[in-house]
Amino acid sequence: MNIWQTTQDAVQLLFSGDMALWGIVGVSFSVSLLAITLVLVPALVIAFALAYGKFPGRWLILSLFNTCQSIPTVVIGLLLYMTLSRAGPLGDWQMLFTQKAMILGQMMVCFPILVSMMHAAFQNSDRRAWETALTLGASLPRALLSLMWECRFPLLAAVIAAFSRIITEVGCSMMVGGNILNSTRNIPTAIALESSKGAFAQGVALGMVLLILALGLNFLLSIARGKAHLRTN
Amino acid sequence: MSQITIQAEDISIRFKDRLLFHIPHLKFGPQEAIYLTGGNGVGKTTLLKILSGLQSPTTGTVNLQNQSWFARLFKSNGKNGVIYMHQTPYMFDGSVLDNVCYGLKFALKGRQEQRSEAITALRMVGLETLANEHISVLSGGERQRVAMARAWVLKPSVLLMDESSASMDKESIERQVVLAKDLLERGSTLVITSHQQNALTALCRRQWCISNSKLIERADLQLIKKDKDNYAFG
Repeated sequence: MNIWQTTQDAVQLLFSGDMALWGIVGVSFSVSLLAITLVLVPALVIAFALAYGKFPGRWLILSLFNTCQSIPTVVIGLLLYMTLSRAGPLGDWQMLFTQKAMILGQMMVCFPILVSMMHAAFQNSDRRAWETALTLGASLPRALLSLMWECRFPLLAAVIAAFSRIITEVGCSMMVGGNILNSTRNIPTAIALESSKGAFAQGVALGMVLLILALGLNFLLSIARGKAHLRTN
Repeated sequence: MSQITIQAEDISIRFKDRLLFHIPHLKFGPQEAIYLTGGNGVGKTTLLKILSGLQSPTTGTVNLQNQSWFARLFKSNGKNGVIYMHQTPYMFDGSVLDNVCYGLKFALKGRQEQRSEAITALRMVGLETLANEHISVLSGGERQRVAMARAWVLKPSVLLMDESSASMDKESIERQVVLAKDLLERGSTLVITSHQQNALTALCRRQWCISNSKLIERADLQLIKKDKDNYAFG
């Protein structure tokens, strides 16, 4: 295997407008973006409630979320497979080997990451920001928005970490998606398949797409969060 | 601006077995300026936060805490009209003007009107030239002045000032006094905590003191000037 030649082939493949390759990229991003969008608001609210709320069992819930982060994606995939398979409790939904199943799996993968990291962001935030917003007349959602803006750097870091985790995970997508071309084949499952066949060029090309899009995403988020000013008090 | 009377009944704060304070009855109304004193850790800040609705007491009620969670979800809190100023004010990430405009956004005013009111407020505290500067370049005293302008611009019914003159020089305190007097004339109520007596505390005609977990009220006190810089109760 010549690495240089493989890279050249990969670049050529990228710019040749190969529909199969860009179809895989499309599946990957539509599935992962939808998955993270669906869990973003519930994760924010739960993370905020865990940081600012006072109720019994708060630390137990937080510990459970922290533990869920370390469950391998393939195990989540296995649980979901058993649930969605014909003999499983949700077999009637006929969701196995569809993009919906992949979205569900990726939601389960990124939800604990988002809650845990967003909780850390809110926990380290300044309580005065919340109190100042309320005392100056903000409603609860507006005060939460102000607080989110104040800790947008760690919150966006949480979103980047969660998105990176689901866009690159193989286990769950492979188990519940089935790696079906033009339907459930995404970038990581395609790389795994092509590499096992010895077709490295497409794998490298897809890897490059992932890197470029990750870079683009980070640039976009950097613009969105604005300039950073270190607080002195 | 609506004038309101705050009434608290049987309020107490308890941390596990430690009773911070217990106040059977507390009432104050429009155009009153109250000087709240007490040593460190007696609960002055906690009392102000309870009165502003930012903190719930262990027992008792304050007549302002009647807005339901549902109402707070969808309505702005502005009608409450009680503003609590932190000992070290929190400034939102943005310009000085953004910070003064913050509360005005919820008063449903036009952008131009918000801006002109905020600039007027900044002129009153002598910071109009810094309106477009980022808040991070301001000193502690200047931030206190911005916090005062941010509160004044909303014309609150009750302004609870927690050590708000702590890091201010004489000129800044005098500017703060002008705004405080203006609010009093409009019918606001002020509650001021401070460890140092100054021109701001001199506005007060009532004094509360928290001591031994109790609030002692010394009514109808007149602040007399002892010498050029010092004031004393007489």
